[in-house]
Amino acid sequence: MEYTKPLPAVNADNEQFWKGCADHELRFQKCTQCGFVRWPASIICPECHSGDTELIRANGKGTVYSFVVYHVAYHPEFKDDLPYVVALVELDEGPRILSNIVGCAPGDVACDMPVEVVWEDITGEWSLPKFRPLS
Amino acid sequence: MKFKDKYAIVGVGYTPQGRVPGRTMLSFHVEAAADAIADAGLTKKDIDGLISYRHFPAAIGEPDVTPYLVAQHLGISPTYMSQEANCARSHLLHAIGALESGLCNYVVISYGHNALSSDSMRKLLYQRGSEEMVYGHFGASADYALAARRAMHMFRTGPETWKHIAVGQRKWANLNPRAMLYDETMTFEDYFNARWVVEPFRLFDNCLVTDGGRACVITTAERARDLRHRPVRIMGIGQHNPSDYVQRASHLAGPTGAKKAGEKALQKAGVTLGDVDACEVYDCFTYTVEITLQDLGFFGPGEGEDWFAGGRIEPGGAMPVNTSGGLLSESYQMGLTQITEAAMQLMGRCGKRQLGPATQTKEPQIILCTDNGGTLQTSACYILGRL
Repeated sequence: MEYTKPLPAVNADNEQFWKGCADHELRFQKCTQCGFVRWPASIICPECHSGDTELIRANGKGTVYSFVVYHVAYHPEFKDDLPYVVALVELDEGPRILSNIVGCAPGDVACDMPVEVVWEDITGEWSLPKFRPLS
Repeated sequence: MKFKDKYAIVGVGYTPQGRVPGRTMLSFHVEAAADAIADAGLTKKDIDGLISYRHFPAAIGEPDVTPYLVAQHLGISPTYMSQEANCARSHLLHAIGALESGLCNYVVISYGHNALSSDSMRKLLYQRGSEEMVYGHFGASADYALAARRAMHMFRTGPETWKHIAVGQRKWANLNPRAMLYDETMTFEDYFNARWVVEPFRLFDNCLVTDGGRACVITTAERARDLRHRPVRIMGIGQHNPSDYVQRASHLAGPTGAKKAGEKALQKAGVTLGDVDACEVYDCFTYTVEITLQDLGFFGPGEGEDWFAGGRIEPGGAMPVNTSGGLLSESYQMGLTQITEAAMQLMGRCGKRQLGPATQTKEPQIILCTDNGGTLQTSACYILGRL
């Protein structure tokens, strides 16, 4: 079936992240000067302004920093998913990323709940990192 | 440079508001600006400064609303013009800077949008970054709901606190014939019975979507004395912009930019919170009102529910808040909802909702206004007073 939801829009800053996702890897820039792991991707470190960067692979585990439950579909393609959970997930390596919590009822999601990544292959080209309660 | 009491708001402009179909975004800017100029007792020849609020994506078939386009339709040729591309909400500060530097003498600040009847808001929603849209994340409600949920985890807050804000402001709107929800009363039961939008927010935790415009005129206190209305002096302004990307932000559950912005504004004005008679707080969501008043220092984290209880912010209350009904119950005119309402209250032109004997509240000498943008990423605070 054709995937009709919005797709990642790749640009020069976020390209490494989405390429990593296609390989089922959460790749982030880590500042080699101060060690800060940053998201969103950027040309320099927002903590120390160093441009020296290495890519790291996050282990895919973290906790729910905050979450909401959508009861309104602002985009028609998400109507069948209602109610669905959007969360800020704080990864073990530091960055917080926006994603969906899947694999449990919206009512079972809580702040600080441990979660782990689960990959959703949406097209032949793209995969989305989503999170489920840590088993 | 000390600007305390050197500049004043001297006119307020309105347009029809609510669901007003068949109108362009530009038309609301222009009508509001012309109304404000006339209200001040000025003519278009006097206006040499124009600041337009951040504009939203133009609806299909409409032009981008730039200040020069507004100026063109007002038939004016300003010597100072400005517009912010985003939510910084620095307009009063810019107006003062332009006046102080001698670039102009009378500044109009305008806002307008056909948000309810056009496709502009949908365009705005779909401009979100792909890192958000791929997960079905759209719009301000959900970002502020993320902030509110984190706050619920950090301290005692939630719908039991927010119901007081929604219901309290509605009582003010019921005294304001201009308010979109003038005829609709609200009980706590109504608040809880309303549908979820993005949980933890129910319908009445969200601001209104409005067709309409708003404007005001700023000039020097000296020039203000010769004009039609009792001038409203600008006593102090403060701003703080945490800016942080929402996903990375540490300010979602406070302290937000309102803390430093408030401290700076009060310090510039030379007054304390105890001198403030009423507040007009940017209220895109109920939680925004709570976290803003909390960060300003009216109560500590988690004390909001008790502070709001008993009608403190309502007509007859000790600290009236959002006396027009605000963005939740009057109309969405960005930060001009707050600034213009404070000005009208201090001018004494608010009729049934007038602070003072009419509403069993304190006669207002000083009103604190706030404005914020992004997801609590920018904050401004203004202390306005009677001249």
